[in-house]
Amino acid sequence: MKFKILTLLAGAVLITASSTAVMAAGKTIAVSWKTFQEERWKTDEAAIKKVVEAAGDTYLSTDAQGSAQKQAADIESLISQKPDVILVVAFDSDAILPSIQKINDAGIKSIAYDVQFEDPSALYITFDNVGVGRIMAQEMLKVKPEGRYAFIKGDKGDPNATFLFQGQMEVLKPAMDAGKITNVCETFTDGWKPDNAQKNMEQCLTSTNNGVDAVLSENDGMASGVVAALDAQGLAGTVPVTGQDGDLAAINRVALGTQLVSVWKNSVDLGTVAAKAALALADGADPASIAGVTKFNGGKKGVEMNAILLAPTPITKDNIQVAIDAGHITKEQACAGVTAGSVPACN
Amino acid sequence: MAEQSGSGPATSNEGLFTRLVRAAEIDTRMLGMIAAMFLIWVGFDVLSGILRPGGGGLLGGTFLTSRNLWILLVQTSVIAVMTTGMVLIIVLRQIDLSVGSMLNVVAITAGVLQVFQLGPWLGVGHPIIWIIAVLVALLLGAAIGAFNGVLIAYGQIPSFIVTLGGLIAYRGIAFLIASGVTVAPMDKTFKLIGGNGPAASIGPVWSWVLAAVACVAIGIAVVGGRRRRVQFGFKPKPVWAEILSVVVGCAAVLGTTAVVNSYLYPPKVAERFALDNNIPIPTGVEAKAGLAICKAGDKVVTCLDGLSFQTGYPIPVLIMIAVGLIMTFVAKRTRFGRYVFATGGNPEAAELAGINTKRLTVMVFTLMGGLVGVSAIIASARLDAATTALGTLNELYVIAAAVIGGTSLAGGIGTIYGAILGALLMQSLQSGMGLLNADSAYTDVVTGLVLVLAVFVDQVYRRRVK
Amino acid sequence: MTAETISADAASRGAPLVEMNDISIAFGGIKAVDHATVDLYPGEVVGLLGHNGAGKSTLIKVLSGAYQRDSGSIRIDGKDAEISNPRDAKAYGIETIYQTLALADNVDAAANLYLGRELRTRWGTLDDIAMEAECRKVMGRLNPNFRRFKEPVKSLSGGQRQSVAIARAIHFNARILIMDEPTAALGPQETAQVGELILQLKAQGIGIFLISHDIHDVFDLADRVAVMKNGRVVGTARVKDVTKDEVLGMIILGKCPPAAIPGPGAIKSA
Repeated sequence: MKFKILTLLAGAVLITASSTAVMAAGKTIAVSWKTFQEERWKTDEAAIKKVVEAAGDTYLSTDAQGSAQKQAADIESLISQKPDVILVVAFDSDAILPSIQKINDAGIKSIAYDVQFEDPSALYITFDNVGVGRIMAQEMLKVKPEGRYAFIKGDKGDPNATFLFQGQMEVLKPAMDAGKITNVCETFTDGWKPDNAQKNMEQCLTSTNNGVDAVLSENDGMASGVVAALDAQGLAGTVPVTGQDGDLAAINRVALGTQLVSVWKNSVDLGTVAAKAALALADGADPASIAGVTKFNGGKKGVEMNAILLAPTPITKDNIQVAIDAGHITKEQACAGVTAGSVPACN
Repeated sequence: MAEQSGSGPATSNEGLFTRLVRAAEIDTRMLGMIAAMFLIWVGFDVLSGILRPGGGGLLGGTFLTSRNLWILLVQTSVIAVMTTGMVLIIVLRQIDLSVGSMLNVVAITAGVLQVFQLGPWLGVGHPIIWIIAVLVALLLGAAIGAFNGVLIAYGQIPSFIVTLGGLIAYRGIAFLIASGVTVAPMDKTFKLIGGNGPAASIGPVWSWVLAAVACVAIGIAVVGGRRRRVQFGFKPKPVWAEILSVVVGCAAVLGTTAVVNSYLYPPKVAERFALDNNIPIPTGVEAKAGLAICKAGDKVVTCLDGLSFQTGYPIPVLIMIAVGLIMTFVAKRTRFGRYVFATGGNPEAAELAGINTKRLTVMVFTLMGGLVGVSAIIASARLDAATTALGTLNELYVIAAAVIGGTSLAGGIGTIYGAILGALLMQSLQSGMGLLNADSAYTDVVTGLVLVLAVFVDQVYRRRVK
Repeated sequence: MTAETISADAASRGAPLVEMNDISIAFGGIKAVDHATVDLYPGEVVGLLGHNGAGKSTLIKVLSGAYQRDSGSIRIDGKDAEISNPRDAKAYGIETIYQTLALADNVDAAANLYLGRELRTRWGTLDDIAMEAECRKVMGRLNPNFRRFKEPVKSLSGGQRQSVAIARAIHFNARILIMDEPTAALGPQETAQVGELILQLKAQGIGIFLISHDIHDVFDLADRVAVMKNGRVVGTARVKDVTKDEVLGMIILGKCPPAAIPGPGAIKSA
C-alpha cells in the first residue's frame, strides 16, 4: 500500500516541479558525483542534465572518483563557480559534512542525492530503501501466502542486507507467527556473489530435500544463482524467487517466469525528480513546500530532514512494459526466449 | 616426484603398517588427507542428521547422500580445474593472483559473445555458438596467461606484482566489456557444460562403461609398469602390493560411479524428461520415502517403485577428472613437467642444464590461463549467467586448495592429485556448513583454520619423514 | 703468444682443443676478467688457480655458456665457436661441474643426470625406467655404494651429490670438462675417488679445466697451471717446471717465475 502512495506523491512532484521549472532560466545546477565507475550514475546524470538544459539552465558536474578527499576539493571548486543548487552524491556520508557546511555558508542550497548525509538544511532525495524488502515480501505473499520460505541474504558486512531482511520480516511476521510461513533456510552470501548464492541454494535444497516453496533473494545477481540451483532440481518456475536492481537478465527471467519480481529503482525517475526539485529550490522555493516532501529521521544520528522518498517499481510479468517504456531494456532483451502470449509486454 | 616413497634402508623396529606402506610405495600424506576428508564427511553427516533427522544419508544426515556428494563434485570442479595449474605455478616458485579476475574476463567475454553477438546473428541456439564460445574462452584464457608469463619472464617483473596488477585490472576490463551488466541466459548447449539438467550428465550406462575402462587402464598400467621394471632388471614391488593397488584403485572408481549413478533425477526433472521423451509415467500411490516418480491421479508424486532415471557423471566432473589426469601426465611424464619441477627445485641449475626457463615460465602461465578458460566455461555455464562478481576471491581458494593439497610455497614440491583433494576438502567444508545452515562467517573461520592446520600438519609430517 | 710457445711443446698431442683468446668481461664497470688467454689440449688437465674473486670461475663460465664475454674469442678444434648459452656449450661437448653443484634438489638422481637431455619413449613421454637403469650403470662405476635412486638428491650426502654431478658431466661423451672446485664438499676418501676419476678421463683424451684454490690438489692432478689475479692471467706453467712455492708467489704476489710464461697480470719488475 505504502509504495503506491509514494508513487502517487512522486508523480505529483513531477507535475509541480515541471510547472515551476519554466521560470528558472539562467540558473546553474551543479552535481558532485562520487564515482562514474558504476554504470547507473551515467543514467542519473543524463536524466538530470536533460531536465536542467530543457529549462535553459546550466549543468555543472565533477566526479570524485571514489575519493572523499577529491570530493571535498570538487565541492570547493563548484562553490567558487557560484551555482544556485549543488546536488551531492556523497562518497562518505560523514566526511562530506564540512563540505556541506561550506555550501551552506556560501548561501547555496544543497540536495543529498541518493546517499544521505545528515544536515538539516539539505533536501534528501532517494528511493525508499527499507521499502524494497517490504515490496519483495508483499509480492511473494501474493503468490505464496503460506509455505516454506528460504532467505538468501546479501553480504554479512553490508548493512543493506540486514535492512532488506528487516523489511521482509515486517511484512511476513504475522503470517510467520500464525505458523503459515516457516523459515527453512537463511544464509548470508559472501560478496553478494551469484555463484555463492547458487551453492547456498543447492545446500538448502539438499538439506530440506527440495522442501522450499519460496525464495526471497535480496538482489537479482543472487537470484540468478538461486534460479540455476532450482533449475537443476526442475523447480525453476514453480518456486518463485525475488530480486532487486532491474538487471536486464532478471527482467528477462521475470518474463520467462523463473523469477517472480525484480524491484527496480528507476534512476531516470530519481534524476528527473531531483533535477526538478533543484530548479524549484533555485527559484527560491522553501524545501518544505515542494510537493512530495516529507520529514525523514531514519538516518544514523536521527537528524530530521526534508526528504522525497520515491517508491521503487516492482517489475513483474504484468508490468514489464514500464521498464521497456523507460528505455531501461529493449523488448528483444526482455522477451528473449519467451513463449508467445505468456507475457503481455512481449506480444 | 614429491612423494616421499623411498626405498631407503628399512629399520627393524618399524610396525607392520609402515612396512606395508613402504613396500607398496604409497604416499602416506595422501592417505592422511583422505582419512581427514572422510572424518569431515562423517562429522557433517552426523551433525546434519541431528539438525534435521531423516535426511537419508549413510549416518542419518544429508551429507552422505548421493545427491549431496554428486553436487559436491560439481561444486568442486571450478576450483579444482584451476588448482591443477596453480600447482605448477607454485612449484615453479611463482604465484598467480589474477586467476579469479581472469575467470571473470573470460566468462564475460564468452557470455557477451554468445548472448549479444552470436545469438542474434546466427539465431539463438545455433549449434556452432557453443563451440565458438568454448574456443574463444580457452584461447582468451591462454592469451591472458601468456601475457602474464611474458611480463614475468622477459619483463622480469615479479609474478606477485604482475598478477596483483592483473587481479585489479582484469576485473575492470570485464566490467567494461559488459558495462557491468549481467549476461544471461547462456546458449542451451553451452549450459550443459555446467552440469544442470538431464542432458548434462552421461547417464548410468556410459558411467559404468567409463568406470570399466578406467579399471582396465589401471590394470594395464600396473602390469605394464611391472613388466618394464623386470625388463630393466629392477626388483619389482611385491605381487600383493601390485594387486592391492589395482583393487583399491578399481574399488574407488567403481564406488564413485555407484554413488553418482544412484543420484536419481529430481522428480520435476524426471517428469519433464519423461514428458519430453514420451515415456509413460506409471501410476502408483505416493510414498514419501521413495525417489522414483509415479502418477497419483493427475499429480506426479514420488513413490517406491515407479519410473526413475539415474544421473551418472555430470559433464563438469568429467572435465575435472580429465584435467586431473592430463595434468598429472604432464607433470610426471613429460619433459615440460620435469623441467617445471627441476626449475622450481633449483632455477640456476635448470638454467645451467640448458633449460630455457623463461620460455618455460611463459608456457606454465599460458597453461594456467587455458585452465582458467576451462573453469570460466564451467562456472558461467553452471550459473547460466556471466556476472561481474563471478570469480571474486577464486584466486585465494585456488591457492589455498593447492597448499592444503601439499604444494610447497617455497617451490619444487606439489602434486596434482593432492591439489584436487585439497579443493574437494575445502568445498566439503563449505558445503557441509551450508547443510548445517551455518552463518557464512563460521564457514570462513573454519576454512581459514583448516588451511593453516593443513600446512602445520604438513610441516610436522615432512620433518618426521626426514 | 702464450699458446704458440706452449703448442710447440704439446705438438705431440695435436692441435689445441680449446683456445680462449683475450677474453674480457665486466660486471657494472668492474672487470671480472681482463684480457685473459688460456688453452687446453686433449688429454690434458689444466689447473686454474687464484684467490676467491680472481676471476677463474667467471672465465670458465664464459666457456660453459653461463656468461657472455664482452670481447675476445673462443676457438674449439681451431674453429671459432659461438657460445651464448649452456645449450650451445653442450653442443660442443663442453660439460661443467659447478662449485654449487647445480643439482635440482627436489628430483632424484636419474632426473638430475638427464636434466635437459631426458630419454623419451617412442610416445614422447619421459622414459623414467630407462633413465634409472642408465643412472644405475653410471653410478655403479662412479660410486658403487650408491643406492638411493628414488630419493630427491636433497637427502643425499655431499659426496653422493658430487658423484651425481660428475656422472651428469661425463655421461654424455664430454670432450671438454670443466670442474669448478670438485672436491670442496668432499671427505678425503671421496676426494681420492675424484682424483682417480680425473686420471681415468684424461686417459680417454678428455681435456679438463680444474678450478681450485687448493694448490695441492692441482699439483697432484694437473699437467699445467694457469694462475689468475684480479681478473688477469699472471702466467701459465707446466707443473713439472715450477715449485709449489713459486706458484704460491704467482697467486699471492702476481710474481711470475722464470719457468712460467708471463701473462698480462704478471708484475713487470719482479
